[in-house]
Parts: sequence; C-alpha cells; structure tokens
Amino acid sequence: MSAYTEGILILLMINGIAAMGVSLLTGFTGIFTLGHAAYLAIGSYTTAILTLDYGFHWLPAIIFGGILAMILGYLIGIPTLKLFGDYYAIASIGLAESIRLIIENWQSVTNGARGIPGIDTFTTFPVALGFFLVLAFFAFNLINGRIGRAFMACRDDHIAASLLGFHTARYRAFSLALSAFYCGIAGGLYAGFISFIQPIMFDMLKSTEMTAVVVFGGLGSMSGCLLGTTIITLVTELFRPISQYRMLIYGLVLVLVMVIRPEGIMGQNEFDMKLFRKIASYIRKPKTTSERG
Amino acid sequence: MSAAAVVEHPVLELESVNKFFGGVHAVNDMSFAIQKGELAGLIGPNGAGKTTIFNLITGVYPVSTGHIAFKGNDITNQVTHKVINSGIARTFQNLRLFKGSTVLENVMTACQQHHKYTLIEAATHMGRWGRVEKAIRSESMALLERVGLAQEANRGAGTLPYGHQRRLEIARALALEPELLLLDEPAAGMNPEEVLDLNDLIQAIHKDFHLTILVIEHHMELVMEICPHIVCMNFGALIAEGSPDDIQGHPEVLKAYLGEEVEE
Amino acid sequence: MGTLLQQVINGLSLGSVYALIAVGYSLVYSILLFSNFAHGGFLVVGGYLCYFALNTLGMNIWLAGAFSLVGAGFAAIATERLAYKPIRERTSVTLYLLIASMGMSIVIENIFVVIAGGRFRALPPVIPTNPVNVFGLATTSAFDIISLVTAVVFLGGLQIFLTKTKWGLAIRAAAYNLRIAGLMGVNVARLISLVFFVSGLLAAVGGIFLSVRYTLYPQLGMITIKAFVAAVIGGLGSLPGAVVGSLILGLSEMLTAGFLSSQLRDLVVFSLLVVTLVIRPTGLFGKNVGEKV
Repeated sequence: MSAYTEGILILLMINGIAAMGVSLLTGFTGIFTLGHAAYLAIGSYTTAILTLDYGFHWLPAIIFGGILAMILGYLIGIPTLKLFGDYYAIASIGLAESIRLIIENWQSVTNGARGIPGIDTFTTFPVALGFFLVLAFFAFNLINGRIGRAFMACRDDHIAASLLGFHTARYRAFSLALSAFYCGIAGGLYAGFISFIQPIMFDMLKSTEMTAVVVFGGLGSMSGCLLGTTIITLVTELFRPISQYRMLIYGLVLVLVMVIRPEGIMGQNEFDMKLFRKIASYIRKPKTTSERG
Repeated sequence: MSAAAVVEHPVLELESVNKFFGGVHAVNDMSFAIQKGELAGLIGPNGAGKTTIFNLITGVYPVSTGHIAFKGNDITNQVTHKVINSGIARTFQNLRLFKGSTVLENVMTACQQHHKYTLIEAATHMGRWGRVEKAIRSESMALLERVGLAQEANRGAGTLPYGHQRRLEIARALALEPELLLLDEPAAGMNPEEVLDLNDLIQAIHKDFHLTILVIEHHMELVMEICPHIVCMNFGALIAEGSPDDIQGHPEVLKAYLGEEVEE
Repeated sequence: MGTLLQQVINGLSLGSVYALIAVGYSLVYSILLFSNFAHGGFLVVGGYLCYFALNTLGMNIWLAGAFSLVGAGFAAIATERLAYKPIRERTSVTLYLLIASMGMSIVIENIFVVIAGGRFRALPPVIPTNPVNVFGLATTSAFDIISLVTAVVFLGGLQIFLTKTKWGLAIRAAAYNLRIAGLMGVNVARLISLVFFVSGLLAAVGGIFLSVRYTLYPQLGMITIKAFVAAVIGGLGSLPGAVVGSLILGLSEMLTAGFLSSQLRDLVVFSLLVVTLVIRPTGLFGKNVGEKV
C-alpha cells in the first residue's frame, strides 16, 4: 500500500471516529451541534503538549486528550443542555469559538496562533485502525440496546421520554460527554498524523464539516455517518487541486441534501440484514404508500 | 409483624390543588382521592382542566398551591422522571409516540426501564446484554399481543392507523409496570365501534394487571359504561363526584355539558 | 473621560451596524422561527455589489448604495426560494432549514471566493473618515457618526414600515402566528419574500459600512456571528431586542478593546452569549414559546 493511500485511510479513520462522536450526539440524541471542532482541538492540543513538553507516550496522551475533552464537554455542556434546537446550536458555536480564542491567546501553553509544529507522527496505520475498530465496536453496540433507545427517545420526544421515566437531562449530558470523548481521541490522533496543529484548523468551518458529514450520511445511522465521512473525505481529496471550488461544492452538497433528501443517504437505517431485507422486499413487492414504514 | 390496622392510603390524592397560568385559574381548589384498584373517570367539558391535572400529577407543570400524594407519599412538584419511576404511567391526548421507531421499539423503550445492565455490557454486548435484551423483546411482544398489535411489531409507529396508535400508547404505558395508569382521552377521534373495543380493553387490563386507572374523557359514553367512580370538573373546579347514576342526573353536570351543546 | 466617551461612541457606532444585521436576522426568525445562518451572505453580497458599482460602474455612493441594497434584497429572496421554500413545504423540522442555511452561507461566501478572489479589497473612500470633534470632549471619526446616523435612519424607516403600512401590519401579524395570518388572507409566500428582501437590504447596509471599516473579503459574513449573538442577547425574534442587544455588544466590544485588550474582545462577545443562554435563554425581550403537553 502506497504511503498516499495509507495516509488517506488513516485520515478516513480519524474522521470516522469524530463522525461517530457527532452522530451519537446529533444523529441519535437529536442535539444539533455546530461547535464540535472545539473537542477536536482540545484533544489535539492536549496530546501535542503532553508528548512534546512532558515526554508522554502517545497512547496515554491521546487517551488523556479524549478524557479532558470529555470532562470539559460535560462541564460546559451541563448549563447549555437545557437549551433546545437553534438555541443550543448557537451556544455551541459560541462555546467553540471561545475555546478556539482561548487556545489562540494562551501563548505560554499553546504557542498561540502560530501553532505547535514538530509533533511526532505516531498515528500510523495500525494505531489508527486500532482506535477506530475499538471505538466503532463500542459505538455500534451502544446504539443497539438500552442506551441507544434512550438517546432516541430524548431525540424524538423529550417530553414523552421524561414521561417514560427517563432522566433526559442526564442522558443528554452523557451523550455530549461521549461525543466529546470521541472527538478528543480523533483530535489526538489527528495531531499525530499531520504533525503540526494551529487554532485555525479547528474553526467554525471544521465544526460545520463535522456535522455536515453526519447529516449527509443520515441522522440516526451510525453506518451512515461512516459512509458520509468516506464520501466527503474522498471527494475532498479528489477536489484538492481545485480547492477553491471545494468549499463551494461542499456548501451545495449541504443544501441539496436538505432539499432533496434531508434524512441523508441512509436515513435511520444501518447497513445490516434488516436493511437488505427491506430493500429486497421493495424490489419484490412495491408497497403502497400506507404500508411503507 | 402484627397485622394491626394498616390504613391503606389512597393511591392518588389531590388536596386543594390550584394552578395559575398567569391570570388564568386553570385548576381551582381540586381535591379528590382514588383508591387502590379503582377504575375511575375524570370528566368535564373541553378546557375544564383535566389534562392540566395529569400534567400536575406527573410534574410537567409545577403546582401553584396544594398537595398531591401517591400511595401516601407527597409527590407535589416532584421532577417528572422520578414521579414516573415511582409507579405512574400516562398516555397523551395528542399521542406522543416515537414516530420514527417501530411499534415494537416504542414498547421496548418503556419496557427497558425495568431491566438492568451496565454501560460496559451495553458497549460490548457481553455479560447480561443478550439475556436482558431478549427478555425486553419478549415482554414487549407479549404486551403488543395483549392490545392486538403483535402483527404490526415491525411497522413504523407513525404508519399505524389512528386507533392502533392509541392502543400502542397504552401498551407502552403498560410496559412501565405502573401501579397507577393515567389515560388521557384514549377514545379521542374514535368511532363508536372502536370506543366499544376500547372499553373492553381498558376493563381487561384493569383486571389482568391489577392496576388503578384514572381515565380522562369528555365523551360520556366510555366513562359512564366502565367507571364506577367519576369525578366531574368544569372551569378548573370540582362540580360533582360519585357513581355514574349520581353524575347523570346532577344539575351542575347537566349545566356544564348542556351549556356546551347549546353553543354547538 | 475623553477616551471613555470615544469608546462609547465607537461602541454605539459598531453596535448600530450590528443592529442593522441583527434586526434583519431577528425579523426572519420572528416569522419562520429558524436561524438563517446565511444572513452573513447577504451582507457580503451587499459589500461586493457596492464595490462593483463604485469601481466598475463608476456610480456615486448613493446610486451604488441603492444598487447594492436592492441586489442584496433580491439575493435574499433567491436564497429563500431556492433553498428554504422547498424544505419548508416538505417538512416542519426547522433543523433541516438550519443546516441548509449553513450550506447557503458557505455557498454564497465561496461564490465570491471564486468570482472575486479571496483577497482583501478596500472600497473607494466615498464615506469620509476624517476625525470629528464632538462637543470638544472627544474625537471620533466622521465615519462612526455617519454609520450611526444611517443605522438610525434605516431602523427608523423599518419601524415606520412595520407600524404604518399594510404590509408592515401583515408582517407583525405573521410574526405572531404565520398560519393564522395566512388564514386571514395574507399572501404568505409574498410576505416571506418581502421579509427576506427587507432582511437582505438591511444586511447590505451593514455590509457596506463593515467593508469600509474592515475592508471587503468573502469571509466578512462571519461577523454576522456577532450579530447573532446580539439578537440572542436581545431575544430571538424581538426587533427592539436585536437593537438593544447589538448596542450592548458593540459597547462591550469597544470598551474591552479600549480598556482591557483587543485580543479579549471576541472572547467577551462569546462569553456574553454563553452567559445569556445559561441565565436567560430567551434574552432580554424574547418570547418564551412553551410547548403544550
């Protein structure tokens, strides 16, 4: 496998981990975030600083980055989680920008806007694959079971959920913490992949991209968000030579998906036997509108 | 332990409950008690405040003044999920199903509240996960059979005909294994035949699940048929209470309903 | 004392520009109950049209201004018709509109990146910026005073439009309840187009002044984030709230920059946002639309 292909695959897996994190929060728990690049940043910077300045091995450094992102996510999440819809989205933008600004101005620790160069490239293919497989295993398992159902209840009707005995505030906070953890890990891996991080890499555009990928793949589908990540990452790579059009196309994709098929590619389906059976039955016997589930 | 006289608390007791929404006196000094095992009805014309009572009991709105007790314990203003977890379940006037999920998943979401496995088991599908999920699934299917929806288990809940959606909501509420079941206008939008079926269902689950049930209705037919104890409200206040015979001839009740009919 | 007054005037001037943007944004929110994140795009359209009119078409500032205002208004209508209307007609989920608006924001911004290039452009100095002495107490620039006055004129014009004209009345009715306004005979489609036109127009005025202040570049629309913050502080959907919130924001920014540090200025903006959302999410004048159970 060429170095280039390997690089793409590693990037795919890093983006995939982040996408799963956002999917848990936005797709499954219905909390629309436009500020998750902040957790990416926290993970990246923690890992970079721990490995460069304190001589940590990358494994604990990455995990520590994930945990720090999770803790911060939980703390700042708690007061804002009582907000819904637009209000939360705006709050998430504000929080993410605040974190980015703090990183940009805290020269002594983060080297400010200049960024941190020279990070050891510890994110090799096996490392990325290892993290990806473990985190994907957890994510897919969680959504298929009581936690997944609880998240979805909070998403579909939080009042009904509380009237079924769910402590919705706690589930929402948990979802946020989990998604922050995933993005923190992705951030740490990212630092060890590109070797040079700057605050500008974690701006609103990055946050939007993280959410857009999940929307594109399907809100409420874990395999969908991975499919979405794959398509968008590959397309982004393909369009790199004409990168000035890249963003334009990317914005158009967002709009078009919402206009044509807002539920995304996969809708709420997963790549499993249930889906194939569904497709097979549609082909064999087209259902009438009232029966279509 | 001596079997000395234990005063059995009413399952549900409202004591001088008032609720103001700004200037609107939505619930006016309501007091009543429902004993264990009763199948009781809460009636009154539209806008009488019946659903508000349910919302006050389940902690959706805070009470302005007064007390609400469940099995003798004060649950006034307790946070919703705690109230539910102590043994109360409700259905909704306007249906609040999880439309994107299947019929079975709706019930399983409620059913899981009485089953446990840890976060680690949830993330790895090891340990108790398999056994517990299977139990949740089979219990939920059993409830669906009970309300006659077993064949629809894998349909999207939003695609069910209206009457079936109402039954699903009841099944979901039952999955919480409540001691007190609050049904909010379960017959709304049903034709007379469906109402008869619903009557049978409610009476059956009342008997089989040993529940205490409080039904809100503003149509008289359902409640008069099946509820031996009826509480009648209008403009937020209690206007009559008793058996169907007591209520039927009660002048205040007639005024409340007749008045409404004249407007129609 | 002189510096304080100076910063206050600066703050009011900046705040008044924010007000033009925030009011347009809140106007759309009050009717359609969603955050139009593409609002910044209208600002950029206004800026570029003005630049184009001044430079290439050689118009004077009044004509160029009118040209850009009308152009931005139509751009707003186009955005609504192309991206939002199809979604609105299909579903009542405002989340999809939110994401689409994010997409449109990226599209508009990048159309200009492609057409006009990403570099900064200075508008021809048609708005005087010479220092002016205010009552012998402080010096400020003529620009600040002109932008303040212009904002007052336009906002006053909007107020008259809303209170004294038939369409203004229709808009106020629609802000209360769109569906009922429609049932009362208001042509809802036309009303929505009108609201977007006005919103785009106001954004363009803000855009022109911001382009002079900060020079023109495609990402200038990002400043709309601050207008969002102002609208939230004032209460989403409330027009007087948007104005008050904007002034508070402008003043906070300028006072921080003047007396604390220029770096902290953005941080203060976002902190105000988070604080508002945590303490009083409906803002100063916003309406709390409770959900009926």
